Amino acid sequence: MAREHLLKIGVSGVRGVVGDFLTPGLALSFAQAFGTYVGRGRVVVGRDTRTSGPMLQHAVASGLLAAGCEVINVGVMPTPTIQLYIAHTGAKGGICLTASHNPPEYNALKLFNKDGFFFNQYERTELIDLYHQSSFDEAMNHEIREVRKQGATAQKIHAQRVLSFVDVDLIRSKKFRVALDSVNGAGSVMSPEFLTAQLGCELHAIAIDPTKVFPRIAEPRPDTLGDLSELVRSTGAAIGFAQDPDGDRLAVVDERGEVLDNDDVLGLVVKHVLPRFPGDVVVNLTTSSVMEDLAAANGRKVFRTAVGEANVVDMMLAVKSAIGGEGSNGGVIFPGVHYCRDSYTGMAFLLELMAQTGKSVTELVAQLPRYYRKLGRVTFEHGRLGTLMQALEEQFPGVVADRTDGLKLIWPDAWIHVRASNTEPLLRLAAEAKSAQRMEDLYAQVTQLLT
Amino acid sequence: MSTGKILRISQVGLRGVVGRGLSASHVMDFASAFGTFLEPGRPVVVGRDPRASGCMIREGVVGALMACGHDVVDLGVVSSPVIQHAIVRMDGAGGISISASHNAAEWNALRFFGPRGVYLSSAESSELLDIYHLKKFRYQNWDQLGSLREDASALDAYLDDLARVYELDKLRRFKVVVDCCNGTSSLILRRMNERFGFQLILINEKLGSATFAHEPNTSSATVALQLAPLVKPLGADAGFLFDADSDRIAFATEEGVPVSEEVVLPLLADYLLPKAAGKLVITNLSSTMLLEEIAARHSGKVIRVPVGRQAAIDALSGYRPEQIALAGEGTGAVMMPQFRFVYDGIASMLAILSMMEERRQTLSRILASYPPYSILKGELPISSSRIPALMMDLRNRYASGTVDSTDGLRVSWPDHWFHVRVSQTEPIIRVIVEQRGDAPVELFESLMDQVRSLR
Repeated sequence: MAREHLLKIGVSGVRGVVGDFLTPGLALSFAQAFGTYVGRGRVVVGRDTRTSGPMLQHAVASGLLAAGCEVINVGVMPTPTIQLYIAHTGAKGGICLTASHNPPEYNALKLFNKDGFFFNQYERTELIDLYHQSSFDEAMNHEIREVRKQGATAQKIHAQRVLSFVDVDLIRSKKFRVALDSVNGAGSVMSPEFLTAQLGCELHAIAIDPTKVFPRIAEPRPDTLGDLSELVRSTGAAIGFAQDPDGDRLAVVDERGEVLDNDDVLGLVVKHVLPRFPGDVVVNLTTSSVMEDLAAANGRKVFRTAVGEANVVDMMLAVKSAIGGEGSNGGVIFPGVHYCRDSYTGMAFLLELMAQTGKSVTELVAQLPRYYRKLGRVTFEHGRLGTLMQALEEQFPGVVADRTDGLKLIWPDAWIHVRASNTEPLLRLAAEAKSAQRMEDLYAQVTQLLT
Repeated sequence: MSTGKILRISQVGLRGVVGRGLSASHVMDFASAFGTFLEPGRPVVVGRDPRASGCMIREGVVGALMACGHDVVDLGVVSSPVIQHAIVRMDGAGGISISASHNAAEWNALRFFGPRGVYLSSAESSELLDIYHLKKFRYQNWDQLGSLREDASALDAYLDDLARVYELDKLRRFKVVVDCCNGTSSLILRRMNERFGFQLILINEKLGSATFAHEPNTSSATVALQLAPLVKPLGADAGFLFDADSDRIAFATEEGVPVSEEVVLPLLADYLLPKAAGKLVITNLSSTMLLEEIAARHSGKVIRVPVGRQAAIDALSGYRPEQIALAGEGTGAVMMPQFRFVYDGIASMLAILSMMEERRQTLSRILASYPPYSILKGELPISSSRIPALMMDLRNRYASGTVDSTDGLRVSWPDHWFHVRVSQTEPIIRVIVEQRGDAPVELFESLMDQVRSLR
């Protein structure tokens, strides 16, 4: 029986269940390590709407002040907005208190460098070393700075940046009827204004009270968006948007109330963006082959990386790509706005696509290359991972294998990807094929092997 | 062994030089221990003095208390007595004052108060210390965490109560110069000028975040630095000096003469004992003998307990409040039953002004009726293994006096006494000798020599 990961201190920062596991002391020490690493200067701190946010924010502020940093408290704010604000204000870095799509009892420290990018693997490793060495910078009284409340302009900066890449007048002229579910998260404070005042939509929103707990499972998935689907159907909305608690992920509901496959959401945006912006496409290994088809149609390439926003962003920076993302995670990363997963960029591009084509979401999705996908997970025992992967490879001799992140086996008409989760003791499975039968066969074969 | 770091963790709390011994993690753990120690359900009141490190410490304290499920009321920059007052007014579970009081600006400390705004007893403090050392804190789950509320009304509520006890409309006629030492007293005194028309002239009134104009310790030497020379030229009736968190005072007369900090307690005893005949004055073994003489004038009785705040707090709990006229130390820290029985410099100042008002006498005039006492203080390093032999030796040598060995050795005669004790915080021995009249130089030197010869 695998251990439950109630606390994880690792390459993705600190994440855990608040209380006995993720304690204020841990958050404080980690923040002091962070402050020691980025150096004395301004550090932006914000959070999503989790109940543990304020408590942890105080602990984090204490650690940063102790290291001689000045704390810019932006309060409840979407993660991408905070990332933009870090870069915009010339801060040394930022810490966002959010466990993203995880359940409400979890929280985490997301760490950003001075550019507002996730710490890359080198930065992360160095920070973890500093944390373990516990030799932190300790400011004396005369060197200690203050906590300043700022960020009133952050949302405006973010919205303006997004809107500068779309035809706002065109979108406004359509007066789209839009449904929204912000899960009472950080998006609640920004999305209604963005969709109505900025984009001229007729908004029907649920779960936009940042003072309330999450009314649904935080991860926006087909099985968690029943209320939004119902809202779309009852209001006759042209499209429904669902955010996760920190507003970086986006899920989409079509005009019939059906939740779109996240890979198709990314596909629509990539298809819309590529003809207008130069550069290639960067996605993770688990993202659909739709990307290769779309790129080829525009004479572009696809680069694939290990799963994780930071990995995708690193590659995007290296190849100066036009767009990127992680299909299954509902993330669109558009460098023009910022190198971050951003639900607002996704919303704006999708509305623009609808406005330009005059087509419904269903019609737009139908135009995408058709693949059959299945995602799943199996638990595994520690120590068995290598054996499992080896057995898998031996089962399919002569197939193209990519070992960048777990194992991806690639046939001309299909692929499977098996990787261990960074955050939980389980294997994530993804299979895709051009025919449903082929995909199901492959998925069943692999599942049987792994269990 | 010296690491160059200064941190003291004891029953009176946590104290040290920030960044050079006192770290954010110490604060987090100590505040978490306090959050675990306190009963849940009622708010915890927090405030700080103006030191820059107070912001850092406040964040950790608030985070820790919220994590333990307590609702926190933050009063911002306020004095310790205002925090203690607010705990009672809000029916709080307790409170934390973030202040190193009379220490230099680079220091800071946490002081803990219980439900009635009083310092923790020894039993409570040692339980708190045990929780701190065990590091098993009662952190709550995500849906049971505390909230934070900021409250700026505490100062006025405190002044409302002061106005009920002291006749402020009569006291405001006094012209008084105050050295605020860049501490919290300036906020209170400025508000007294605004609200009640006092004529308090404040110096060093800017809140000091990085540095103070001088160390905020309440001694006659500090009074002599900047305050005393101003009193006479300004034609003031008195000069008062406060430490950073306003719980103790020192003063100068209208002539600009700095008065020994030892005299604050006897002066207030002289004021209060006639209104409280036969009651007790509680002080420690090291404070001036003038107190006995004043007490005798008003048939009061002096109870002496070991040095240190904890001993005083424990001693107080041994008597009914109505038995006590006042309590205090030779440092200028005095508590009076009229105003909630906590060390309070503002209340002490108002009581002294009330005394001047009621007697229609100047400070010089009042003090002229007190016989002169001379006190000499010294300290020497000592290795702890030599202490028992030293104490026995001194005891045998000075057997003619009245011996008290509850805290080191105190031997008293009708017109002089000495106290030799080991510091609780440093490996040093303190020697204090006082005599009615001239300085007891001979006895002092002789005691110092004996300590030197045995260390």
